[in-house]
Amino acid sequence: MQFTNSSPKTVDLLELEHLYRSFRGIPAIEDVSFKMAPGEIVGFLGPNGAGKSTTVKIITGMLRPNDGRVLFEGQDIAKDMVAFRAAFGYVPEEAHLYSYLSGLEYLQLVGRLRGLEEELLETKATRLLKLLNLESWQYSPISSYSKGMRQRVLIAAALLHDPKLLIFDEPLSGLDVVTMRLFRDLLELLAAQGKAVLYISHVLEVVEQVCNRVIVIAKGRVLADARPADLAKLMSLPNLESVFAQLVQQQDTRTVAQEMVEVMQIGHR
Amino acid sequence: MLELRHVSKRFSGIPAVDDVSFSARPGEVTGYLGPNGSGKSTTMKMITGLIERSAGHIVFQGKPIEENLIAYKRRMGYVPEEPYLYTHLSGLEYLTMVAQLRDLPARQSGTRIDGMLRLFSLHDDRHASISGYSKGMRQKVLLIAALMHNPQLILLDEPFSGLDVGSSLVLRSLIRELAARGKVVLFSSHELDTVERICSRVVILHHGKLVADDSIERLRSLMELPTLEQIFSQLAVEQDTESTARQIADLIDA
Amino acid sequence: MHKLINKLAARLPLDFRILYHQFLLRVVDLESLSIQADIVGYLGQFSGVLIMLSLLHAMVTYIGYLTFSAPADRLAFCWHMEHYLISTTMLVVGLITVISWDAAFPDRRDVMVLSPLPIAPRTILFAKITAAAAVLGLAIVTLNAASGIVLPLLLGTQPGPALDFIQSFAAYWFTILAASAFLYGSILTIQGFTALVLPRRIFLRLSAILQLAAFGLFLGVYFAQPLLTDPVSLADPRNRWILASSPSYWFFALFNQLNGSWPAQFSWLASRAWIALGLTVTGAASSLLLCYIHTMKKTVEEPDLVPGAGGLHCMPPFGNSLQTAVALFSIRSLTRSRQHRVAFAFYLAFVFALALSLLRGELATPAPAPVSMDLLISAFLMMFFAVAGLRNVFALPISLTANWVLRTTQLRPSEDYIAATRRTLLLLAVAPIWLLSFALSFRFKPIPQVAIHLAVLALLGGILAELCLIGFYKVPFTCSYLPGKANIQLVFWGFVIVMIAFVVPAAQFELTALAVPLKAAFMLSALGALFWALWIFNRHRAKSAVLYFEEIPDPLITTLGLSV
Repeated sequence: MQFTNSSPKTVDLLELEHLYRSFRGIPAIEDVSFKMAPGEIVGFLGPNGAGKSTTVKIITGMLRPNDGRVLFEGQDIAKDMVAFRAAFGYVPEEAHLYSYLSGLEYLQLVGRLRGLEEELLETKATRLLKLLNLESWQYSPISSYSKGMRQRVLIAAALLHDPKLLIFDEPLSGLDVVTMRLFRDLLELLAAQGKAVLYISHVLEVVEQVCNRVIVIAKGRVLADARPADLAKLMSLPNLESVFAQLVQQQDTRTVAQEMVEVMQIGHR
Repeated sequence: MLELRHVSKRFSGIPAVDDVSFSARPGEVTGYLGPNGSGKSTTMKMITGLIERSAGHIVFQGKPIEENLIAYKRRMGYVPEEPYLYTHLSGLEYLTMVAQLRDLPARQSGTRIDGMLRLFSLHDDRHASISGYSKGMRQKVLLIAALMHNPQLILLDEPFSGLDVGSSLVLRSLIRELAARGKVVLFSSHELDTVERICSRVVILHHGKLVADDSIERLRSLMELPTLEQIFSQLAVEQDTESTARQIADLIDA
Repeated sequence: MHKLINKLAARLPLDFRILYHQFLLRVVDLESLSIQADIVGYLGQFSGVLIMLSLLHAMVTYIGYLTFSAPADRLAFCWHMEHYLISTTMLVVGLITVISWDAAFPDRRDVMVLSPLPIAPRTILFAKITAAAAVLGLAIVTLNAASGIVLPLLLGTQPGPALDFIQSFAAYWFTILAASAFLYGSILTIQGFTALVLPRRIFLRLSAILQLAAFGLFLGVYFAQPLLTDPVSLADPRNRWILASSPSYWFFALFNQLNGSWPAQFSWLASRAWIALGLTVTGAASSLLLCYIHTMKKTVEEPDLVPGAGGLHCMPPFGNSLQTAVALFSIRSLTRSRQHRVAFAFYLAFVFALALSLLRGELATPAPAPVSMDLLISAFLMMFFAVAGLRNVFALPISLTANWVLRTTQLRPSEDYIAATRRTLLLLAVAPIWLLSFALSFRFKPIPQVAIHLAVLALLGGILAELCLIGFYKVPFTCSYLPGKANIQLVFWGFVIVMIAFVVPAAQFELTALAVPLKAAFMLSALGALFWALWIFNRHRAKSAVLYFEEIPDPLITTLGLSV
């Protein structure tokens, strides 16, 4: 079943056309297509192994599709990878950083790799760190940062060069309540500025609140591409969680939980 | 039941935790919240016996924990926020090592570990080195390590981090099930929607002090606010996030 | 024998055994290595090398003994060998200690993983110490296995009762163990007390410096200490200060004292050994105990974050932004990663030893001296070790999972990245050695010859750098390292052998060329042409190169056998 309700005709920022990718003969994603317009916040959901990370790797250029292409502002990214890289910012799910660098040094590294001018980089980096409450620790090595602080450094690094497309994979993970709110306010403003945001997350409540559209992927195929409210109405289900569970044929979690506790108590002494 | 009685902790004279008292009862899931710097993680470390209190007592099932710390640790399961693991081991090796260190009979623990690996869909990867595990997989290893000995007291610090939707839902049900079987569950998270769904009571810390310790319904009626998020913001959040967000957006545009 | 050990072992508490096994695997800090190494295989290879060495020592001792006929000469030779064996054992123990610098103390991860478990802290302590001691013990035993029998045997056959062999044997092994305990104990004492006294952040920084200092000290002392094992030198009052401050001589004296063959007038030297041993053992024991009681808590208790002071973040630009980024990244990675520091220090140790030997030789002659073979040879070799060594270290990965940021920000063509790597290599290896040579050259005359020599050295540095970078299409430290790539070491040491064979005639040529202007000009232009040719060759290949982050060697390189 396909539930699509795509946005009205505007100039698309990003378009995925019939992507296909397999590993050792086993297809990871098949015929994945969707579009993103400027100013949209698009949620990207799916269980593990559904092909989400493969799709994201193809979009960020770390992987080449076996078939299909990715268009950025109408151009195939494979033809001019450099221009595309300059226009997107990516926060991966696992915050792998060079942890022996300080927060500021890491931002300087990213800025210089992106060819930002020194003075501008200095200003942006220090002020971003200040706004994200990292000012007192900008000279300490990232190895001493908590998970939330590392996440903030990654968010800052993704924003430095004013990208048109933002890809966030579980960006709220590890963040405290205040920073979560800050990030959500920021997302709204960025979208208002005309940026497109691809938001990948497992926290369905937040996705429901933040995203204009959601794309659900399972077993390598796109199952749904519509507004959360429309989806819920179409399927006569109360919220995104139940929609998701239905689409993905989620197992009965209650039974699984009971089984688990049984196992825990095997040979209970 | 787990009780904290007037617990304080000072670091070079500065109180990180100041006269905190609350209890977590068996059969309930107690939520434990607080912004960064509220003393939440310090309290958690004191409860797990990692650091010592400056004042006050922590009492579990009627006995202060320092009376017999090792016996206490036998009955406690802890899932920390930061996933510290020996990454040169495989998932199964690590869990077997923990089982041996906990003095569990080999055959029993083997069956338990095997069963739990299957239920968490980690069975196929059990022989791979942990250094290659994703965040979610490491989290599952931590969960199994914390539950394998059937503890009476379960402390969870951001246990959902890294888990996909399916596993999150399983964990959610698991926590409810554990509480239903009479265990004491203390659950800390920043995802307030999840806390709201699972927990019957919440304890909120702010600047090292206790600012709330009540069931969620009572808090809702007391403060006349519909969601936990709004309650929390009122009690413990000071920053104006909208204007900060605007400043960030302007800065990037420069 | 195996069954007996197992039976004994089974009596030890279970958690001790498990932890011991875990810590054994981690003694050499292999976790920080990104190579999926086979620990048992490594230990096996390592012991194999040491046993071979021991057999070699034993052979040399036996043959050397037989070449002398007079008992006095034989005794002198034995003393010489004793001292050599003692100081070599101390060196090996010292190097192992450096490589496993923090193995005796629990790190943050140990505390976080093991604290929630029902284990007594002292079990962790004993398990860690036993694991570290086991590795050291293995090294000591294998290194002295053969020589530890041959030498006492030879000494025992000196005129005297047959029991002498047993006495010599016991004396030998006691001395070896005492010397090792002294060395290891002093390191533990220093580490323990600094951990106790200093705040953790400062302690960690200091620990890194101490590790390198210890490394340099052990190697330096080993190579630079004079040979004073004959009675004449021992009695000479001028040598007293060297003997008094040199632990290898204390234990040499101890051995002979225990063996009963030590003249009474030198017993002060042996008593130093006893005092040193006593001090370090008590120091180590107390520092460990205090550490466990105090530091384990400190590790956890310290608030996770301490606002740091602004470091040297006003670094000069190294070229365009990409070159600056790569250079700074390389400098920081090199200085802040323990494993890379130690690896680079290994190569730098050769530089250091060469410079030291040169200085020692030249300090004897009055300044300014004529340009000599010593100067030329040491300059060449220093340059070689620095450049080739750094290039080897560049191939060792660091935080591989973090290199996604380099891949997603690849906005410039690969050749720019390769040029940035070249600039970094020149900056961090060629330039410092050249500057060092420049400083040393002030002692030499005549100035035109010195100037030409410096020019030759600069060109040589450039040529070596270009050679090392053939096929190296990566950003330093960001590419994975294929397991089993042992041939990188083979290639390196192969080059060393070639270099040593080639360097003497080359230095001779240069020496003669320096005197004759025409020859000098010819030499300079030939080197210049070679450098220019290599430069063009590399530039050309870089244009079509693809930057890689996973080890997939270029087919050309594999056929040339230049490998990683």
